Amino acid sequence: MSRLLVVDDEASIRMLYAQELGEEGHEVVTAGTAIEAVEKLQGGAFDLILLDIKLKNESGLDLLQSIVKDRHDLPVILCSAFSCYKDDFSAWLADGYVVKSSDLQELKDEIRKVLAKKQNR
Amino acid sequence: MARMRSLYGLLLEMVSRAAILKPADIASTRLEGFLNLQCCWRKDTISIEDCPFIEPGEESLLVSYDRRIVEKCLTCPRFASDLNEMDSAGVPSATLLKVLSTELLDLRVRLESMDGFLNSKTREIRFLHELSTVLQTSMDLDEVLSVAMTAITAGKGFGMNRAFLLMCDKDQQYLRGYLGVGPRTIEEAWHIWQEVEQTDLTLKEMAHYFQKNKLFSEKVKFQDILERLTVALDDHDHILTRSLYEKRPILVVEAFNNPLVSREFAEILGVDSFLIMPLISGNRKIGVMIADNFITQRAITHQDIQSIETFAFPVAFALVRASLYEQLHEEVEKLTLANRKLQEQQELIVKMEKMALVGRITSSIAHSIRNPLMVIGGFARSLLKSADVDDPKKEYLSSIIQEVRQLEDVLVEILNYSDSLYPVKDRWDLNQLLEDSCRDLQEKFAAADCGCRFELADDLPTVFIDYKQISYCVRTLLVASLENRSPGGEIVVSSRWWDNVVMLEIDDPHGNLTEDTWETMSPPFSSTQELGVAGVVGLPICRTILEKSGNSLTVERPQGGGMQYIIKLNLQKED
Repeated sequence: MSRLLVVDDEASIRMLYAQELGEEGHEVVTAGTAIEAVEKLQGGAFDLILLDIKLKNESGLDLLQSIVKDRHDLPVILCSAFSCYKDDFSAWLADGYVVKSSDLQELKDEIRKVLAKKQNR
Repeated sequence: MARMRSLYGLLLEMVSRAAILKPADIASTRLEGFLNLQCCWRKDTISIEDCPFIEPGEESLLVSYDRRIVEKCLTCPRFASDLNEMDSAGVPSATLLKVLSTELLDLRVRLESMDGFLNSKTREIRFLHELSTVLQTSMDLDEVLSVAMTAITAGKGFGMNRAFLLMCDKDQQYLRGYLGVGPRTIEEAWHIWQEVEQTDLTLKEMAHYFQKNKLFSEKVKFQDILERLTVALDDHDHILTRSLYEKRPILVVEAFNNPLVSREFAEILGVDSFLIMPLISGNRKIGVMIADNFITQRAITHQDIQSIETFAFPVAFALVRASLYEQLHEEVEKLTLANRKLQEQQELIVKMEKMALVGRITSSIAHSIRNPLMVIGGFARSLLKSADVDDPKKEYLSSIIQEVRQLEDVLVEILNYSDSLYPVKDRWDLNQLLEDSCRDLQEKFAAADCGCRFELADDLPTVFIDYKQISYCVRTLLVASLENRSPGGEIVVSSRWWDNVVMLEIDDPHGNLTEDTWETMSPPFSSTQELGVAGVVGLPICRTILEKSGNSLTVERPQGGGMQYIIKLNLQKED
């Protein structure tokens, strides 16, 4: 069982992720802001972070940079409604990029792939 | 000239007075009986039979003694004979009369010659005035050339048989043959001169006729000579450049044996004597003119040289001015073009700003819709999974999921379209793009039980495109093909190019677009029905994206069956 941190400003989406990924056997912890995410990260160990790029007034990419700087062994998958950030250099720091969709299969596959990669390191 | 005229008048008077040895005078000398005088000059009035030199119309001289003496008797051999007779007989005034009459005759000849010279100079001045009027007002290089060449060769002008014009190139590196005028054979000369005589045009009219009808044909006629008349301006030994550097005309005689003229050059012109006239304006070397009498072989006189030299200066000046005007005209045209382009660019920027705004709004709306759709669809899927097999709500949930999926597809197309409103162009390798696009769709190929074969041109040039746009189009076409085909076989992806067009082709022998899909190949969003056809919204968008960037998409059904998609990309320059 993996411990995942979901960072998204939309409560409904956090709820959806928690339910769907929970059914997959993961333990899901959620955060609605970057500050809350940092607090959660400091509070416990995680295997993977699912990070939204647009966090109301904050940038998920800034948070990604600080995570990579402090916890470079912690994989991050960016989940965004925008596909254009794929071309953004700062988004390349993440281990995966998934465009949000009602079908979470792609996200689930990506989580599996990134976790497997982490285990093989 | 005035002095000569007054001297001539004085002598006339003296001769008249001296010659008036009227019958009474001769009688008074008591010599009449001893002299054998034949001429009628002694009579006050004569009859027409007395003087064989009085022509019809000159009858007034019969009664005008003074005029008759001056106009007829002085040149009459009988009068001369009478004077000799009188001189021998010791008539005292006879010697004086002989001296005066001889001097008078000489003065008359000189006066007539001066008159002739004056008339020719008057004609020349009038001709030069006519020329300079045209040369001063004309800004047209062809008109100036026509006037100059006509003036040199026309009988009403300087009357030379042939003329060649050589111009210095822009970089002042070479003197090159530019125009030749005149006949090449005696027959042609005869024909031209007859034509000129019949038409009787003024110099200006002749120049106009020449510019309109002969300028080009004369160039062609002398092409072989003009091509060989190229001299490097740093070749200071050549007779042409010498004339140019020394700023003086050179009359070449015995060209084939002249040490200053190369044998090759003499052979090109094929004439023994010719005049080289430099064309210089200020310190600027314009070119040289070569004139000769190739047909008549008439010797070129000092007066010819002087006249042509006088004429060469305004010609050189007019040539410079016309060529500067031409350059100015070209620059103005360039500037106008640049200005127009700038205006177009400005309009384009305004348009792009508007489009970018539309794009941003579209993108913002689309993203705002995506999150709720994800939540609705996500929870519907979640509920569907946990619903009992016979739960009646399952149908509703499936319906919600299907509608959300369709809305999400439309959303993707809208976002792609809004991306296409502000493309980011660069040079890309299209073969690489094709390979990458097919690799991305490997799973879809496998699902459709379809192979993929490449036929890519080795020498395909890079193309200035928005990679994302073209990649999207290729992937959309491949997906459309994979979703509308019978299983098996392979799709052939090929690239080729010619005539500044690169063609990307997707050939699927198993392809079979439905009629609904085929109909959607009209511009996007023209009706809601088009948007409602699942999975094929992308085709019209592809077409729009390609056409907006000056490219094209054609979808064809080959006779042998299957589908063929062709993207034509122009090898446009980077803007």
